[in-house]
Amino acid sequence: MKNDTSLEPVPTSLADLSLPLEVRVHGRGGQGGVTCAKLIASLYTRMGFHVQTFGDYGSERSGAPIQAFTRVDRQTIANRNKVYRPDHLIVLDEALMGPQVLSGTAPGALLLLNTRSPLDAYGGQYANYRLGVVDATAIAREHGIGSSSVVIINTTILGAYARLLGVSLGALEAAFASLGLGGDLAAAEHAYEQVQIRTCDPADAHAVAPATAWQPDSAPVTPLTEHRADSPATLKTGSWSTQAPRYRNHAAPCNLACPAGNDVRGFVQALQDDGADAAAKVLLRTQPLPSVCGRVCPAPCMQACNRDAFDGAVNIRSLERWVADHSTQALGKQAVARPRRFAVVGGGPAGLSAAYQLVLHGHAVTIFEAGPALGGVLRNGIPAYRLPPEALQRDLQRILDLGVETRFNVRIGHTDLLRMQEEYDALIVCAGLGPALRLEAEGTGLAGLEQGLDFLDRAKLGKVELRGRVVVVGGGNTAIDCARTALRCGASSVKLVYRRGREDMPAIAEEIDSAEFEGVRLVLNRQPVAFSGNGTVSALVLAEVEPGAPDESGRRRPMVTQRTSNLECDTVFLALGQSAGMEWLPGTWQVRDSRAWEGSQALDVWFAGDCATGEGTVTHAIGSGRRIALAVLGRLDNAPETQPDAGSAVAPGQIRFSHFDVVPPHRDKELPPSVRRDSFEECNHGLAGPEEAGRCFSCGQCTHCDTCLIYCPEGVITRSESGYRIDTSYCKGCGMCVAECPRSAMEMHEKTKLEVRQCL
Amino acid sequence: MSLKLLSANHGAALAATLAARANRAGRGFCSGVYPITPSTECMEYLCLQEIEKGRVVKVESEHSAMAVCIGAASAGARTFTTTSSNGLAYMAENCIAAALLRLPVVMAVANRTLGPPWNIWADHGDSLLLRDQGLIQFYCADNQELFDTVLCAFRLAEDQAVMMPVMVCMEGFILSHTTAQIDVPEQAQVDEFLPLTAIPHRLGDTPHALGQVELPHQVEVHRHQHLAAMNGAVDVYAGIRDEFERVFDRRLPDAVVAYRAEDAETLIVSMGTIGATAERVVDRLREQGQKVGSLRVRLFRPLPMEAIRAWFAGKQRIAVVDRDVSLGFGGVLWGEVNALADPGTVVQSYLAGLGGGDVRPEHIENMLSDLLPRTSAGLPAMMEAA
Amino acid sequence: MNEPVLGGMAQTALDRHEPLLRVGNTNCGGCGFSSLMQMMRHAVADQPVHLVIPACCAAVSAGVFPQSTYGAPTLLTTFASAAAAASGIASVARMNGEDTRVVCLAGDGGTYDIGFATLSAAADRNEDVLYICYDNEIYGNTGGQRSSATPAGALTTNLSRGKPEQKKDILAIMAAHRIPYAASISLAHAEDAVRKLRRALDLQGFRFLHVLSPCPTGWKSEPALGMELVRLAVRSGLFPVLEVFDGKRYVVNIEPDFSDEALDMYLSLQLRFQKSGITAAGLRPDIDRHWQNLRALSGRIVPARRSA
Repeated sequence: MKNDTSLEPVPTSLADLSLPLEVRVHGRGGQGGVTCAKLIASLYTRMGFHVQTFGDYGSERSGAPIQAFTRVDRQTIANRNKVYRPDHLIVLDEALMGPQVLSGTAPGALLLLNTRSPLDAYGGQYANYRLGVVDATAIAREHGIGSSSVVIINTTILGAYARLLGVSLGALEAAFASLGLGGDLAAAEHAYEQVQIRTCDPADAHAVAPATAWQPDSAPVTPLTEHRADSPATLKTGSWSTQAPRYRNHAAPCNLACPAGNDVRGFVQALQDDGADAAAKVLLRTQPLPSVCGRVCPAPCMQACNRDAFDGAVNIRSLERWVADHSTQALGKQAVARPRRFAVVGGGPAGLSAAYQLVLHGHAVTIFEAGPALGGVLRNGIPAYRLPPEALQRDLQRILDLGVETRFNVRIGHTDLLRMQEEYDALIVCAGLGPALRLEAEGTGLAGLEQGLDFLDRAKLGKVELRGRVVVVGGGNTAIDCARTALRCGASSVKLVYRRGREDMPAIAEEIDSAEFEGVRLVLNRQPVAFSGNGTVSALVLAEVEPGAPDESGRRRPMVTQRTSNLECDTVFLALGQSAGMEWLPGTWQVRDSRAWEGSQALDVWFAGDCATGEGTVTHAIGSGRRIALAVLGRLDNAPETQPDAGSAVAPGQIRFSHFDVVPPHRDKELPPSVRRDSFEECNHGLAGPEEAGRCFSCGQCTHCDTCLIYCPEGVITRSESGYRIDTSYCKGCGMCVAECPRSAMEMHEKTKLEVRQCL
Repeated sequence: MSLKLLSANHGAALAATLAARANRAGRGFCSGVYPITPSTECMEYLCLQEIEKGRVVKVESEHSAMAVCIGAASAGARTFTTTSSNGLAYMAENCIAAALLRLPVVMAVANRTLGPPWNIWADHGDSLLLRDQGLIQFYCADNQELFDTVLCAFRLAEDQAVMMPVMVCMEGFILSHTTAQIDVPEQAQVDEFLPLTAIPHRLGDTPHALGQVELPHQVEVHRHQHLAAMNGAVDVYAGIRDEFERVFDRRLPDAVVAYRAEDAETLIVSMGTIGATAERVVDRLREQGQKVGSLRVRLFRPLPMEAIRAWFAGKQRIAVVDRDVSLGFGGVLWGEVNALADPGTVVQSYLAGLGGGDVRPEHIENMLSDLLPRTSAGLPAMMEAA
Repeated sequence: MNEPVLGGMAQTALDRHEPLLRVGNTNCGGCGFSSLMQMMRHAVADQPVHLVIPACCAAVSAGVFPQSTYGAPTLLTTFASAAAAASGIASVARMNGEDTRVVCLAGDGGTYDIGFATLSAAADRNEDVLYICYDNEIYGNTGGQRSSATPAGALTTNLSRGKPEQKKDILAIMAAHRIPYAASISLAHAEDAVRKLRRALDLQGFRFLHVLSPCPTGWKSEPALGMELVRLAVRSGLFPVLEVFDGKRYVVNIEPDFSDEALDMYLSLQLRFQKSGITAAGLRPDIDRHWQNLRALSGRIVPARRSA
């Protein structure tokens, strides 16, 4: 035996052709097996031989095993029988290979297989045949011959056959041209080059007796008149297909979009199936602050929701709130072999999230907080009408109940850090952002001008009374919060000045809507260039802003013009964002990849939340805190870093909208604006019930909806304990279940060799 | 028993009615019918009978008439239909299906010339179309024989060893529209004679298909079994004759009816009413001292070859009279029996009464005049009778 | 609320224990007839049923003697005989006091064409038979030739260009027989399909069901997309899904959106339409006319709505 992958014509030349020659092709209905035998006959006709070709027609349908035959001789062929002892055996689908296919094939015969396996994979198999292997399916698919489910390979394999015969490429080309198959020539040439050939030692050839020849069927046949009941068919139609369906979870877009890493689909489905406690169990794995996020999260999950393209995104945020407000579920602390001690600097969302994960994993955590209580921006930055303190408190209590220790009013400096480094297994710094940004403009020292965050903090702590006209500068959530809080504090009018357009405002869209709904007026594409007033601010000078070229974020860069106007006011709140503010770290430290380094030495000091990423939302901070906590645990245990590949999210096009009825989203109950603007009562009362969970498509995850069961034409899908079972021995691989699955929770796959064997 | 004046058509229908009623304790009776001259009166008569647990379905074609019978038989009922000529040709596909499915449908066929050109009179060519398709065929010569044969046909068709359709043929008008006395038995006698229909392979409660695909090997074996059952039907019929005699106190004619044939040198072989005419000719010629006999083939499928061969033994000349022609060959009956004669016997084919021509004794005498000088058989001879 | 309640339809205690179409049958993958038989299984439940199948793909898929892929007593008849043979079976069942449901399963060839006289006569006699036409719009068993159910614009193996004539309106013809029940069924709307199969099984007298049966082999389409094609045919208005009671009362079951987008998609997913140049715009006037007629018959004289 030797492998021959060169392009030289194969040693067996046409002159050596032993005649009469008999070729048998094994294929499947619809694959072009009969045409393949015809093409082979055409090839020999061109060489001047007499040929005869015919199919072994039966009642079989697309996909069923079929045979076709070609005879070649120098004279007219009188043999009218089928081919029982082929000299050349061509198998269009390796899954067909079995004793019946080899039946009657004598040693030394040529065996050409269409297979995914390389020649090496056959070892000593088929040793007494001259063997050619080629992945004609891959080649034909690459050349786009046939359809995605039924690739037609008859012309492709002809290329490989020509090579085995020793026909030159030029002759092959001429043959294809004469057959009007010029379009398929490239694939055939590809196969001509790709086919791997193993010659057969004549000694081997004679050592083995020919395979069993065809035997006449002598099974007893019951008389019709004595036959009263039929047995089921024994034909394993699973052998018709090289592909089979299977259930497979695909990533949901909401899950991939959630900055906190919540299993959004999981908790919504759990809520639908088993209620709030079950949903909480899912949610609390990643989410320490569901009451908070269920109210203030910008909900990127809802923007990603596939239902948006159908009849409106699922109201996920409010479902999270429903779960948080209707469950007292908490997760227990895990037992751990080696408990460690961690310090978390900062009691905001990132710190809370990091501490929560560490304590859930069974470790001891102390939070050092500069303020008098936990919560960070949640406590003092978000107004009560959006986040009532009780809601925050519920979440905080759940974390504290796990045994997290706290130190309040402790402002950590660089010496503290160096000391704590020794005392704890690791530090996680979640200090948030630094001081609020200021505006470089004339008149910022005037009275009546205040940082928005300071105003919100005051408003949260006690009653603040405002009078007259308030202007808020900025376009983020803090700006909106300031504007809406100002209304509640008695401002006669509130205007919000922002330098770009409404669509560019970073604030949550619904919040902007609410603000306008309550009476806040937006003054867009304006930039304050000066503040005027006699000791106290009485007007802003606003310059018109034109959108310039897009920046790297894709937003148009604001171009301040010389055109100005005055906007009279009594109070101005600035909400322009915050600085990074990491200057309090030891001077020898550098921060790289969310970790402190001293030169090339990595320290067990990590950073999470806004101070590390500056992403700016509660949800991002929670995600950052959790990821860093888990990374720290992994690093301390020297666990290999695993980046689970979530895969790409299920796209709207992969959801079968036709399987769903149009059901508009359930909206939150909102207080009327007349009531709202007079009070800090929470203006959104959430959903009336959890029914909204029923709108979830459950993208990429089976819900046992029975669609596959109903639409499987073969009835080979049955319920099993874990969901469904597909009997691949009979599945014809039509793919209907996969195509009909409403939520892309199935896929087709190439059958494994084991699966193929089960069908034979 | 009571004598009734009935046409053969009505006689066939009455026999079917009695057989139908006889299965009232079984799975009943169902018939699909469609009119065609000259079998229409049979169908009409049947439609007007009260049949307990029976239904005659008035369908839109002969093809469907047999389809109804196939359906009904596959559900286990006794079945009967009647047709003629082009109706039979149109029904042929389903006649074949009934045969191959081994369903015991009984048919009364009024033989009539196939067309167009249209002709409504007698010719055996229609039923002979189905010669090779697995249906038993009787050819009758008078009203009583027809009535009795129809009754007997149910017993034969439904015999567990036979289980296939039986055609009872009568020449159109000549027999179908001839009225004569028929000795009609009491229902109780018919009940005694006919066991309840039991079709062993009928559809029941279990998954079971009738007529699915068969591969070559299965067709080979099933044809062989059908052939064996068909050949066995000759003996089954002999047994039924005894049973018939026991119940009705008269004897059914034999599968082949020999008349003064024992010592005959010349034999006239025919089917149907021509046989009756032939017997008259035999009597006349015997008076003249000629050693002539008649052999009427009543059971054409299965062909009682042994009986025919025995009657043929030692005969010098045989005239085979066919009211049919296999174009390109000759008389169908002639072709069948030719090989059964001794070597040296002159077996000559005569075609007579095609298109319903009235075959009179003179025609047969002319044939014999033609035959006597022959030392070897010639081409089929057309004896114009009209 | 969210999606039609399919749960509980299949493989429940109510379901027929034995499948009507067993595994190991030789129908092509993605065959609409196979899908129909799965839905029939749910609808038949525990009623005794006899199948009558003329020469067609379904006869071939019965399997090879002595095996059968039908899980019920089945009579295979000659091509044009199904409705008549079923009349015989039903007659015998009734006279023996058996409630066996006799169901004919015939293709469009056996229904629209060669078996049409037989069908019409059985309907005329109001035989107690459920006749189901699984219409793949082609003589599929012989490899895909034109039938009178082949739609305008479709190419078949014996047409050199798209069929110029329109598809015969079999449902109207059967309704005109004034039979108790005539309905069209979309396999892609399983709930509606099973409901109507159950109703048709339960009624007495002649019932006719017209099922658009996707045929990947004949339609030159992806086997997996069969149901989607039916859905598109329904959505676009090409295949009206309705019931007709006693030839008089018309009820439209599924309201199409009459979108050209759906129609274009329907055409573009099948190679049989690709070479004929037929377009949604070309088919639309006939669809509109047909629906105007249906609106009038169903007593809702609202012009066919056109979506943007």
